[in-house]
Amino acid sequence: MSRKTISLIVMLALVFLTLGNVIAQETTVVTWAFWGSPEELATHQSVADAFMEENPEIEIEIWHQPWSDYFTGLQTLWAAGDGEAIPDVMFLSPISNYAADGVLEPLDSYIEDSGFDREDFWPGLLDFAMLDGEVYGFPRDIGLEVLYYNKDIFDEVGLDYPDETWTWDTLLDAAEQLSVVEASGRVSRYALGMEGGKYQLWVGQNHGSALDDMASPTSCTLNSPEAVEAVEFFAGMMDNDLAMRNAALSQAGGDAAVFTSGQVAMIIQNASRIPTFNAADMNYDVAVVPIPEGGQRSASAAGAAWTMSSFSDDKDAAWTFLSWLALNPEGGQRLYTESGEILPALRSTANSDAFLGQEGSPENRMAFIIEGDNAKVGRAGLFPQWNEINGTLIGPQLQLIWAGEAGVQETLDSICADVDEFLAGMD
Amino acid sequence: MATQPTELANKPKSTSNWRDSDWKYRLGIGNWNPNQQSEAYIFLLLSLLGFVIFVVFPIVYSFWLSFQEWNLLSPPEFTGISNYTQLLTNDDTFRRVLKNTLFYAATIPPIQLALGLLMAVALNTGIKGLGIYRVIYFMPVVTNIIAAAMIFQFLLDKNAGLIPSWVWQFNEATGIRVIPPDFLGSTFWAKPSVVLLTVWKNVGFTMVIYLAGLQGVPEVLYDAAKVDGASNWQRFRHITIPMVSSTTFFLLVIQMIGAFQLFAEPFVMTRGGPAQASLSIVYYIYQNAFEFQKMGKASAIAWVLFAIIFAITFIQIRLQKRWVHYEVEG
Repeated sequence: MSRKTISLIVMLALVFLTLGNVIAQETTVVTWAFWGSPEELATHQSVADAFMEENPEIEIEIWHQPWSDYFTGLQTLWAAGDGEAIPDVMFLSPISNYAADGVLEPLDSYIEDSGFDREDFWPGLLDFAMLDGEVYGFPRDIGLEVLYYNKDIFDEVGLDYPDETWTWDTLLDAAEQLSVVEASGRVSRYALGMEGGKYQLWVGQNHGSALDDMASPTSCTLNSPEAVEAVEFFAGMMDNDLAMRNAALSQAGGDAAVFTSGQVAMIIQNASRIPTFNAADMNYDVAVVPIPEGGQRSASAAGAAWTMSSFSDDKDAAWTFLSWLALNPEGGQRLYTESGEILPALRSTANSDAFLGQEGSPENRMAFIIEGDNAKVGRAGLFPQWNEINGTLIGPQLQLIWAGEAGVQETLDSICADVDEFLAGMD
Repeated sequence: MATQPTELANKPKSTSNWRDSDWKYRLGIGNWNPNQQSEAYIFLLLSLLGFVIFVVFPIVYSFWLSFQEWNLLSPPEFTGISNYTQLLTNDDTFRRVLKNTLFYAATIPPIQLALGLLMAVALNTGIKGLGIYRVIYFMPVVTNIIAAAMIFQFLLDKNAGLIPSWVWQFNEATGIRVIPPDFLGSTFWAKPSVVLLTVWKNVGFTMVIYLAGLQGVPEVLYDAAKVDGASNWQRFRHITIPMVSSTTFFLLVIQMIGAFQLFAEPFVMTRGGPAQASLSIVYYIYQNAFEFQKMGKASAIAWVLFAIIFAITFIQIRLQKRWVHYEVEG
């Protein structure tokens, strides 16, 4: 090789390097924050890759923490107030707290400009990410519950599989046959494993609610006859060894663990458990949750949402990514759905083959669609103090009921007295 | 300028020619140069800086925060002593966690001290395989708390757990129906279960410290007592216990502080439940700070806790004259 060629190569290399630098500087970096297990990280990474392929001018940088550290980490960044370090697009829940503190960008004008049809979200779902009528985020999925049942156990007992016709009474009849109490008194199998915290599903089905208005409450309605009846139904199943007590369920490792091990025949939970049960090669299916006579389906329209930081230094780029992630049926929504972990927030994606056409269990995916079409907003309060009310006043006292140590009516009366006092002292 | 004693200081002491050596050197005068202080401070600076940034500043800041309302997001707002008044007059949960924590403080240190001393005395008798026993009893101390809590959950679970299973087997064999306690799921048993885990986890540490303390008890005392016809119990009561009282005092102080700061055990085993029955003060601080975003209130609780621990430790130190013996042989 002559000297000339070498110097030519060196020169070209330099030119390309400089060019590369210039091009690199023109790509915008959007920092994207979410929590999740290492397995979930792979899905998120593939979503980021797919987006960058379509939008080479935007580079996605991932900020990822396990769930237990995620919120503390974000709060530290906000407290420090360094716009560079705060992620541009964040996965958050609940939204109202953060929106009230001004760390989230209001999105109404962006939605107007994009011409997106809000009706494509499940009914009530977008309200979960709103504060005072303004949208602050787009739920990724809807965490509504269905009834998972172990087909092997149903076959063993000789019961028909649950379907839309099931009422609370049908559920009780089945539960009595599914639970196994040994001669010693030990319960070797419960019919139902359901987190105590999901009690509002029964309350909602029976036309009750926790507060008179879940966004701007004035009083507690948990001691209304509808709510009392619903809590009595749930507590009664625990007292009669049909449903696992709440503390026992969490000590046994949660509903997925006891369902997989056959300690319970049914659980009531959202779509997130599907990959676990499929990986365990379980023989199971899902059905809609049984409702009382004259009751209504009352799935919770709620789900963690993608939000935009109000500190973002390039909001256009952030919006490009956010809208691709949340509003584009062929974008993030489709990829997450295909990963099999979620019931998508967009009805068009849920009704497409991305969700309905998935291989493997559960077979009856329409159960999710039926619950989704009837979803109701507001199982969690849509105001900042809800965490505290629920965490110190409602939750601990309800645990007395789940532990079988207190009566339903007087406990709910006591809860409502405390909550009413708290609400009266608010702002 | 200061004198330069370097040349003299470098001179080996053993030099034979004493007359050459400076009298100042022999008297130790001038070896220390006051100007070296600046270097000393530079060497100290690094750790001092760390101490100020990571200890002094957070303490002062949390004190200031306890008079503010701050949710980490919007700027803190001064609210006077309302965090404290609300806490002390109008917070049922705080009253409950205070009671729970007093229960922990009243049970964990005494049980640990008694059990630890017993184990140490037993191991101090010169039995074979002492090292193995020491390792076995010390193992829980270095065991990961989460793993330990999960094992205890397994042991105590009402239907699937090992300990209740003995009751179930008893029922099966006899036809009697005794319902075993729901250790982690009932408000009555949750606290004792947390105590059980804590004691199991820490008693090995107490034992090891006591073992060291027992080594310092002179054998002649026992021999003399034996000659005087003292029984085993009398020797234990009147020699061992007083002679290790300084060890007991040390352990009591740190374990009392530890019991007031209990967090990880209820956090991983019961989540403070059911119905806040096992919630501790520090867990409540954590909840306020990171679940309810009330940093001001969390700081106020932390300072109340500090006051309690300070008062109790102060009383312990004042009372030690009455029962702690420091005299050593000779």
